[in-house]
Amino acid sequence: MKQRLFAIILLMLPFTAQAVPSIQETRLDNGLRILLMEAHNVPMVSMSLVVPAGSRFDPEKRGGTASMLAAMLADHTARHEHKAWADMLDADAMMLGSAVDNDGMTLSLTVLKDVLEPGIDALTEALLMPGWSEKRFTILKEDSIAAARKELEEPGIRAAEAAAELIFSNHPYGHRSEGSLASLQAIGLSDLKALYQRQVKPDGAVLAVSGDITMDELKPLIAKALSNWKGTPETGLYDIVRPVNVIGQQADVELPTSQTQLQLLRLGPERTSPDFFPVFVLNHMLGGGGFGSKLMEEVREKRGLVYGVYSYFVPLATNGPFVISLQTRGDQAAEAERVVRSVLSTMAEGKISAKALKATKENLTGSFAQRMDSNRERVALIAMIGFYGMPLDYLSQWTRRVKEVSLQEVKDQAAIYLDPEQWNRIRIGSDLK
Amino acid sequence: MIKLLLTLLLLICLIPASEAAQLQETSFKNGVKLIVEEDHSAPVAMVQIWLKVGGRDELPGKTGLAHVFEHMMFKGSKKLGPGEFSKRISAMGGNDNAFTSTDFTAYFETVPSERVNEVLEMEAERFANLKLRDEDFQKEIRVIMEERRMRTEDDPNSRMFEELSAASLRLHPYRNPVIGWMQDLEKLTIEDVKSFYEKHYVPGNVIVVVVGDVDFGQMKETVSRTFGRMQARPALARFNPVEPQPFGPKRIQVKLPAQLPMLAVTVPVPVWKPAENDREAAALALATQILAGGRAARLTREIVDEQRKAFGAGAGYDAHGMGLDLWYAYGMLGPDQSAEAFEKSLWALLDEMGMKEVDEKRLNAAKRNIIAANVFAQDSLYLRAKDIGRMEVVGIGASNRDRWIEAVREVTAADIKNTVGRWLKRERSTTGILVPEVTP
Repeated sequence: MKQRLFAIILLMLPFTAQAVPSIQETRLDNGLRILLMEAHNVPMVSMSLVVPAGSRFDPEKRGGTASMLAAMLADHTARHEHKAWADMLDADAMMLGSAVDNDGMTLSLTVLKDVLEPGIDALTEALLMPGWSEKRFTILKEDSIAAARKELEEPGIRAAEAAAELIFSNHPYGHRSEGSLASLQAIGLSDLKALYQRQVKPDGAVLAVSGDITMDELKPLIAKALSNWKGTPETGLYDIVRPVNVIGQQADVELPTSQTQLQLLRLGPERTSPDFFPVFVLNHMLGGGGFGSKLMEEVREKRGLVYGVYSYFVPLATNGPFVISLQTRGDQAAEAERVVRSVLSTMAEGKISAKALKATKENLTGSFAQRMDSNRERVALIAMIGFYGMPLDYLSQWTRRVKEVSLQEVKDQAAIYLDPEQWNRIRIGSDLK
Repeated sequence: MIKLLLTLLLLICLIPASEAAQLQETSFKNGVKLIVEEDHSAPVAMVQIWLKVGGRDELPGKTGLAHVFEHMMFKGSKKLGPGEFSKRISAMGGNDNAFTSTDFTAYFETVPSERVNEVLEMEAERFANLKLRDEDFQKEIRVIMEERRMRTEDDPNSRMFEELSAASLRLHPYRNPVIGWMQDLEKLTIEDVKSFYEKHYVPGNVIVVVVGDVDFGQMKETVSRTFGRMQARPALARFNPVEPQPFGPKRIQVKLPAQLPMLAVTVPVPVWKPAENDREAAALALATQILAGGRAARLTREIVDEQRKAFGAGAGYDAHGMGLDLWYAYGMLGPDQSAEAFEKSLWALLDEMGMKEVDEKRLNAAKRNIIAANVFAQDSLYLRAKDIGRMEVVGIGASNRDRWIEAVREVTAADIKNTVGRWLKRERSTTGILVPEVTP
């Protein structure tokens, strides 16, 4: 299936406000927050439990530790070795998964309503009774190393790796969450255990739920399963130093590809930034809004240089990356870069029309509801709100906040963020000069 | 690869379970068909316009045209300037996009439900009055070449699968990539695009699918005064040749700059023909689920975890195509793992499944997972509409979706053994090996 455009990953998730169902909240005595949005149209429940144990907590030179820990937790438990565990989950079609990003580690569950209770038991067992099988660790590690080797041929992965190193150097965000060929080799099972001991705690953790259930039904089930889990993580989500601003740096990686992958990048705002909404709207105009964005218009529609060009920023506990990315035939890369830089400088100089701002806001506010039309999407939003401590009325305020962004605010943020001189550059391709 | 596998699982599992809402459908004199699934749980709707034209309908030397056409649909019509379609959808707070496959082309929009009429008017306008300008085409064909470079040329796995598909089939058009061969893309002209439009974009090839907070009566009215008014033109019978039976195993090697080898095997197998081969198609789907789906997938458990012959493995089958499907299995090989050893293990496993009945527990788990996935898919308007359009466009008929779940439920361990034994055989297969080329 050939999609006309890669689904653009909107890391700040535009969602909308008309009649947003409310988020209900409760808390267990151990500090675990439970957030629920009810949705009774399909007999299913999705949930995600997030703890501050993402890849920024990886030990130095052992990037990928959190990622391997997440894989181990979902793979088997102290009570069930991995085959029995897999058979048990499959028998009831329970979808149990795990993932990490820079800040958080997530265990997730999607089940039919009629197996909700066994599902919660399984999630609890994965979380609280790690199996620490040496044999399984060895297999998972070997397979991750082979996968990392295979990934060396992927331009996107090489770019992500180079990007993290370039703008975060020695900062905890300075490596890919999945780790690299070298860093994975250095990881031992004891690293996983230590990370688990330090960070996987209920105080500050969030359980986000969406589906065919009420809080009255949910809370006793969770209390029964997770009340005995105790403790506070050694490092809190917001205990993190700001990365040093890196300006005008470059890095090239030679790969025998026909296209050059070009990324321009710099630091963006953190999740709790007061400027979040103006920057969010600005990014949507620049390259976050798909076909409506300025970069798509100039680089693809007017000049036919790329299949896609997009921009995004990743709002984390502190400044995350702000990235512009495209791929084009090697001999056109310089031209594409010139066009991108000229878009940046035009916008940085304040040449942004009220009409374009209006169109962007219409698109964002209008498309809010459809961004929340599945349990999986809702759980991701609720988990983000809970984990980063955003106000619980965040979703119902969202449309108003977007609408309130003024032309002057967008211009101010453009002057701060879009100055082309401040962006760094990564190129992946052949014959880079 | 994981993505490939997930996509496949989604395709297998898309058919809604029996609690799915009632479908309402009607046809218009000119051949346009409308199918609506009302769901009033949120004030949004998914509009999908499905066309009975895809990669399979292209002529030799003109591959990629169905997909090129998909791009051209955004380039303006009599009443809409280039890019205006998407801008208007965007201003409604909607999203639009499109996709092309071997069997179909589809255009879709998610919009607030009160705007559905407007969307259908715009869709009918561009279908009837598309402006096909050479200057737009010249820019767009460059974009498509970049798309091909990105998706295929610079991705060793995709490249290898493209070559493998071409080697697997002698006659059937699935041997050509949907995006087209680069040689063909370089030679296509605006005249080719125009004649493709004349031939395939006719009312009889259109299926309008709407899922969401709409009223069927109202939709009937809107479609009748938009798509329903397009002038009737003959829709040609679709090219659906019978692929000659394989006479023995085939092999290819693809040498590319890559880090590690990969081995994949394809076998042409039947797709689902309701009332003709329900159990056989469902048995193939279940066999594939047992091999590659869920946590207990046998390829992973036995070949990756126990025998250590690959670091990743998967398989895929799509029952909802036209005529035939290229069943596939693959293994990703680590630095110390050989293609030969993986291949041997793969066939040992398939041969065993063709001779010995699978464990009942495992069969029941596979059924439960396919059925549960259908319920989970009900959660998304996009997937629901896509499932309806897809079953309709390949000739299965959306009204048969419950029948598929019934077929899955009825499969026995003996059915799986017989079906695997009959179809998934070495002498019917084509094997492709990605051989990493060391670059200086």
